Amino acid sequence: MNDSERRITVEDLLRLKRAERPPPEFWARFESEIRAKQLAAIVVRRPLWDGASRVFAFVYRNRIPFGAAAALAVAWAGVKFEGGLLTGRAVAVSAAGQTAAARVSATAVQVASASVLPRTKAEIGAPEGAPPLQTAVDSNASHLTKAPVAAQTESAPRTPFADGIGIALVDFRATGPDLAKSGVFGSDREFEASVTSMHQPAAEPLAQMDPSGERLERLLAPALPVYSSSGARAFASDRVKQKASYDRMYESMDRYGAGGMSLEFRF
Amino acid sequence: MNASKAIGKTLVASPERKLEADADLAVVRRVQAGDVAAFDRLIGKYRERVLGIVYNMTSNREDAADLAQDAFIKAFQSIHRFQGQSSFFTWLYRIAVNSTLSHLRKNRLRSFSSLESIREDDPVSRELVDALTDRTGAGREAFVRELQEKLNDAMQKLSINHRTVVTLFEIDGLSHQEIAEVMDCSVGTVRSRLHYAKQLLQAELQPYLR
Repeated sequence: MNDSERRITVEDLLRLKRAERPPPEFWARFESEIRAKQLAAIVVRRPLWDGASRVFAFVYRNRIPFGAAAALAVAWAGVKFEGGLLTGRAVAVSAAGQTAAARVSATAVQVASASVLPRTKAEIGAPEGAPPLQTAVDSNASHLTKAPVAAQTESAPRTPFADGIGIALVDFRATGPDLAKSGVFGSDREFEASVTSMHQPAAEPLAQMDPSGERLERLLAPALPVYSSSGARAFASDRVKQKASYDRMYESMDRYGAGGMSLEFRF
Repeated sequence: MNASKAIGKTLVASPERKLEADADLAVVRRVQAGDVAAFDRLIGKYRERVLGIVYNMTSNREDAADLAQDAFIKAFQSIHRFQGQSSFFTWLYRIAVNSTLSHLRKNRLRSFSSLESIREDDPVSRELVDALTDRTGAGREAFVRELQEKLNDAMQKLSINHRTVVTLFEIDGLSHQEIAEVMDCSVGTVRSRLHYAKQLLQAELQPYLR
């Protein structure tokens, strides 16, 4: 084939790139460098973060199954931990209740036996055959005095303040059993009734006050001047009552005031 | 015609590649068993081809040397994960190409050429240069240098992926299927990129074509 007639293509030109080769001495240096890098790769340990990054990459690639497993583990741990906590809490509450009940009972018995019983016998003059004080207290005691006993089954924690109240109530009912009766002193249920009444819808206090005209006239009589005729007196009384009407008092706020426990009216 | 020759060459060479792959796998098993020195055989066998790929992708001999060494070191460090599902040279090429692509993307704005000289002791290249010029002596060397720079400029005008396909197919002689495995793309993509790259190269190198 004549060189001048040869067809030159892109592939022929690119084949020239194959002839771009480094000199032979280059490979000696290449060998030494790559051997040094290879030894370094063998000797030098990988840093800890390299392993951690591989672990994170593995977890990220399998994030869906890992997430599901983590959710299951958390749910299982939560159920197991909560169950153990509830069991432990029940045991602790039971022990605390028993301890508190024993302490309050012991205190009550001590109070009854040491101070209350002699005083009751001496001052009230109870008969010798009277039932023991503890029985009387139990029969008259309300649920507040029975609260320490009931604490054996309730989960509310006992405090020294509550124990003191219980002891004071026991002491009070032991000191005055007659006063402790609900008919005389009133039951502590009354407190609940009063509290219940407070929950009723609020009403205007002055609107509920609707004194009769006679009462108002009787109250204002000492302040009225003495008239000779009964007609003039009735007229003056009507004027005063008109001026002192509740509507006018509401309209002029400066005519009444409150100071401490007193209510003032200014005419 | 040359492309069909290259394809036929790769198809004919496939049994040889299979034998090479089996031989490489045996060496890899030895390395995985703890024979670290056996890896030197793999380095000696593939160093020129790996360096040629990286060099033709970067057009810088210093960077090419470093990247080729790094590719071998990465392969050595990760050889315990090589399962033998592909041939070792495909696996090694993939490491080298990915490292080079990453390097080129990082240093997109800092690229300069550092070319090796064309060795005319190769009969194919000497015949080609004789067909291109009648000059001798210093004029011939200057023409070869100018042609080399024109070739390099034309390659650098291609995108990274197109340049890689041209390098693997035209310079290193890999088949479309092997290039697809190395570049982790389809064979159709390889053919498309190769066709487009050749059109661009033909337009750039038109003065040297007949």
